[in-house]
Amino acid sequence: MANLAIVGQSVYRTDANPKVTGRALHVGNIEMPGMLHVAVLRSPYPHARIRHIDKSRAEALAGVAVVLTGAEIAKMPAVDAHFGPAFRDQPILAVEKVCYAGDPVVAVAAVDKRLAEDALQLVEVDYEPLPAVFDVLEAVTPESALVHEQHRPAKAFADLAHVQAGRQSNICYHFKLRTGDVERAFAEADRVFEDTFSSPAAQHVPMEPHVTLVYLDEHERLNVWTASQSPSYVRTELSATFGIPMNRIRVRVPYLGGGYGAKLYAKLEPLVTILALITKKPVRYALTREEEFLTITKHKVVTRIQTAIKDGTVTARKCEVYWDTGAYAEIGPRIGHKSGYTSAGPYRIPNVCIDSYCVYTNRVPAGAFRGFGVPQVIWAYDSQTDMIARAIGADPVEFRLKPALDEGEPFATGTIVRSFGIKEAIREAAQAIEWSKPRAAPSGTKSRGKGIAAGVKAVLTPSISGAIVILNADGTANVLSSTVEMGQGSETTMGQIVAEELGISLEQVHIVQPDTDATPYDTITAGSRSTYHMGNAARSAAAKIKAELCEVVAARLEVAADDLVAGKGRIFVRGMEERGMTVGEIFLAKFGSLGTTLAAEAVCQPAASHMDPETGQSEKCTEYWFPSATAAEVEVDTETGQVKVLQLVSVGDTGTSINPRHCEQQLLGAALTHLGLTLFEEMVFDEGQLVNGSLLDYQIASFKDMPESVRPIVVQVPHEDGPFGAKGAGETGALTVAPAIANAIEDAVGVRICDLPITAEKILRALTDKEGTAVSIGSTTS
Amino acid sequence: MTIRSFDLLQPRSLAEAITLLVQHGEDARAIGGGTTLIILMKQRALQYRYLVDLQSIPGLNQISKEPEGVRIGALATHRSVELSPVIREALPVVAEAFSRVGNVRVRQTASVGGNLAHADYRLDPPPALLILGAEISAMGPNGARKIPLKDFFRGMYETALEPGELLVDVKIPSMPAKSKAVYLRYSAMSANDWPCLGVAAMVTRENGRCKELRLALGGVAATPVLVNGLTFVKDQLLDEDVMQQILAVVDEQISPFSDLRGSEWYKRQMTQVFIRRAIAQLDSQLIEG
Ligand SMILES: Cc1cc2nc3c(=O)[nH]c(=O)nc-3n(C[C@H](O)[C@H](O)[C@H](O)COP(=O)(O)OP(=O)(O)OC[C@H]3O[C@@H](n4cnc5c(N)ncnc54)[C@H](O)[C@@H]3O)c2cc1C
Repeated sequence: MANLAIVGQSVYRTDANPKVTGRALHVGNIEMPGMLHVAVLRSPYPHARIRHIDKSRAEALAGVAVVLTGAEIAKMPAVDAHFGPAFRDQPILAVEKVCYAGDPVVAVAAVDKRLAEDALQLVEVDYEPLPAVFDVLEAVTPESALVHEQHRPAKAFADLAHVQAGRQSNICYHFKLRTGDVERAFAEADRVFEDTFSSPAAQHVPMEPHVTLVYLDEHERLNVWTASQSPSYVRTELSATFGIPMNRIRVRVPYLGGGYGAKLYAKLEPLVTILALITKKPVRYALTREEEFLTITKHKVVTRIQTAIKDGTVTARKCEVYWDTGAYAEIGPRIGHKSGYTSAGPYRIPNVCIDSYCVYTNRVPAGAFRGFGVPQVIWAYDSQTDMIARAIGADPVEFRLKPALDEGEPFATGTIVRSFGIKEAIREAAQAIEWSKPRAAPSGTKSRGKGIAAGVKAVLTPSISGAIVILNADGTANVLSSTVEMGQGSETTMGQIVAEELGISLEQVHIVQPDTDATPYDTITAGSRSTYHMGNAARSAAAKIKAELCEVVAARLEVAADDLVAGKGRIFVRGMEERGMTVGEIFLAKFGSLGTTLAAEAVCQPAASHMDPETGQSEKCTEYWFPSATAAEVEVDTETGQVKVLQLVSVGDTGTSINPRHCEQQLLGAALTHLGLTLFEEMVFDEGQLVNGSLLDYQIASFKDMPESVRPIVVQVPHEDGPFGAKGAGETGALTVAPAIANAIEDAVGVRICDLPITAEKILRALTDKEGTAVSIGSTTS
Repeated sequence: MTIRSFDLLQPRSLAEAITLLVQHGEDARAIGGGTTLIILMKQRALQYRYLVDLQSIPGLNQISKEPEGVRIGALATHRSVELSPVIREALPVVAEAFSRVGNVRVRQTASVGGNLAHADYRLDPPPALLILGAEISAMGPNGARKIPLKDFFRGMYETALEPGELLVDVKIPSMPAKSKAVYLRYSAMSANDWPCLGVAAMVTRENGRCKELRLALGGVAATPVLVNGLTFVKDQLLDEDVMQQILAVVDEQISPFSDLRGSEWYKRQMTQVFIRRAIAQLDSQLIEG
């Protein structure tokens, strides 16, 4: 791109210094006079009717401000006792029944946390256990216990407007895609492959657990400080739940200590709000790590996938995807929809049939998790693609490259793809891992293998981002944006975009942190959408200001506005830097003073076209795509089954990089998160009870688990409507890690694991089964 | 979560600590480094009105060389054992086992006495101490006594200590001449995780043959297991035949159960693999040395 000053530069993050030196403000650090602390009693049963709650002893404890139950909330006029982004199915506190072990039942607000927890121990709840369902495939059968008797749609998001009320089923959402003649293709196939893949519930483990602080200000306005990825939505939800006018609710989000999808939509905010409204005191609720595990998870998914092969190519694919969304739908329907329609892969397959079901069970609710469900569907379709290639003797890389979609071809939804660097990504991955080189011979008990995986995610469409840019007379600017800086670097990226457009330096741009009193609406900070959507909004707003500046300069210097450019804090004639004016000079000319500001607002609001509910066909289902490929080299110890990842190469088409280092860091960060998810992370349940809900037992990948070599490769296929050609990067590296490792393991030792995580034990089991002889004492030879 | 309020009692002597523990009975508990106890109290799985702080008693954290071995005070931290020149020189396998516990923050705080008294079935240090014939000194309301470590672990989280009785130190005899020991820890999931199992082995050689083999394991039964009945290896070469017999003996004496880190089947398999590896490693070291 021509003559860019700061876009495209790997500048250092503007939030690094305050974070590294411990001076960044987080919600958990905010103290207020008279602040109360919250503790919550959670259900020990996965499904039970609440017969009776005796809270009198807790209420009598000195220092306890309030002890609240769901039944009391349900009786409050003008309060909706339930909330949720797709269905209003989640009670602020359980009303009449509990739906999972961990469901909040009673809340206490007290002068300190210890006292609040002491009070909980004095509450007695009498439960009547109900039949429960823990398995997603069992939950879809007619005999299954019902988690909810009826489903009440929320109307908060345009893309979920088609979600329907339902009853007498645990299926709360069913997405369908039909194209071509699938039955006929299967009938005419040379070979048909049918496999089932699963991936388990897992936790995001953000460094900062959820925390929310609510107080009423001097005007009795609701003030909410919250660790959230969606401040605008929180305000909408609180307004809907409590009937409070939007301008009497102020939601602020300082730097977030990581989100990964866990902090989307409303979480603690409704409960803390009601406690603040009752007590008229500042109230803070900070989850413990153990509660974090009981609050939100990654969807457990089971996918059945059938593929027809004719003359060595894929002619048809049938996918049945079952999303275990747990006790409350949360954002499950959006995931079932948006990930559902990609579950046949980024390939030219003429006949596709997809059924994607979002299903209630009596488990911890599942929601967004870096990748919004796409890693789970890629786990299925890429693993199977690799298995097919090996079975028919095709080269796994060529087998993917040949049918991979080119620019201008239709996706399974009928949408024509553009800015679609999937082939480039696959080629880069293959080259980086030296795919075509012969494999090393096994040494001792160690065998090595390589694997490639590819897949694609589509950005959430429609969605909306608004930004306001305010230029000050000294050439500095403030940017009002509701994008949350959660470690992804958005503050720096937005700063670069605005600095570039206005021709000022990064230091001259200040990004105002989300504050719904001032920053305009933004759908969510998630789904790799901020650089594109908020970036476009901020850039357009800055462009409007620049146009105003140019107008003044054009009049003063008697030149055409089109000939003017911005740079170094000035507006000048292209190619003649000395012929121009500084921002200060322009302000003096325009306003006659330096005491003023210039402001402009812009909104980025890409639309999607209607998607046929029976066929999933849509002229435009998404604004842009994230092609991803991962290459892995592993070493498997055939005596223990243990896998060591030697090399991990993460390739992503992020569009043009605003900040190349950020793109690389995002690819790597996402890939390394998924290393643990691939090899050992799993929330283990026993009859609906979480067994490993603490960091003593639930391990994420540590430094000791890192591959010997990790490498990000950024493929840059510019997007014509992206800010400077950019798309996004937050999730891309997460998408294809698991199948790449599974494929490498098969390459190394010839066994295929279809159920994540790929533990050493599963591999040893498979090796043992393959040999057909149970390993008896001493038969493992060294 | 938070801990219920409690009083921290800070005795200045062992006798005073024991008196406090006896006086408050079930309401009191001794605390060493607190790395386990505090977590359990935060979860409110355990609640005590009094904690008797052993760190306030002077002199319990010494590591000293003695004529026939090394003595480690109950309050010595894992980290100090791991880094002690005395232990690294005389009993490197002990330094190794302690160095594998959790992470450096835990090791900097956790005490040797707390580790053993906790009696978790997967702890790293016990197997290494068991093969060396460690012995515990305990002091309680009925006076002092010695308890061989092999008689110390009675069940999951259960030890031979009586109410009010404290672990004072651990005496570890010197290694026999011409012997080598090793501790292999196997984490099946994250390398940072608790072990799936741990194997400690010691081989003593004489005239090119095995004089003695000692094996101990963690994670494969409700308590750490010191393997009995290995005397048949005396004067043998540790060849495949003998190895088969060793593995059969071990398989009889372990009773693994499935947990998050492996099924019973897997733990039996891994026991064999890591015993083989441990012995192979020692054999080659002894041949070289
Ligand atoms: C994050 C983490 C990871 C860990 N990973 C590992 C691991 O990988 N391998 C491993 O082996 N262990 C591991 N542990 C456990 C660790 O070894 C123990 O927590 C530690 O050894 C306990 O020592 P302490 O001094 O802190 O005991 P405390 O918590 O103070 O006490 C533990 C128990 O011992 C009793 N006690 C303490 N001292 C005495 C005494 N002198 N006499 C009698 N009773 C006493 C206490 O009353 C209590 O019941 C881990 C722990 C944590 C927190």
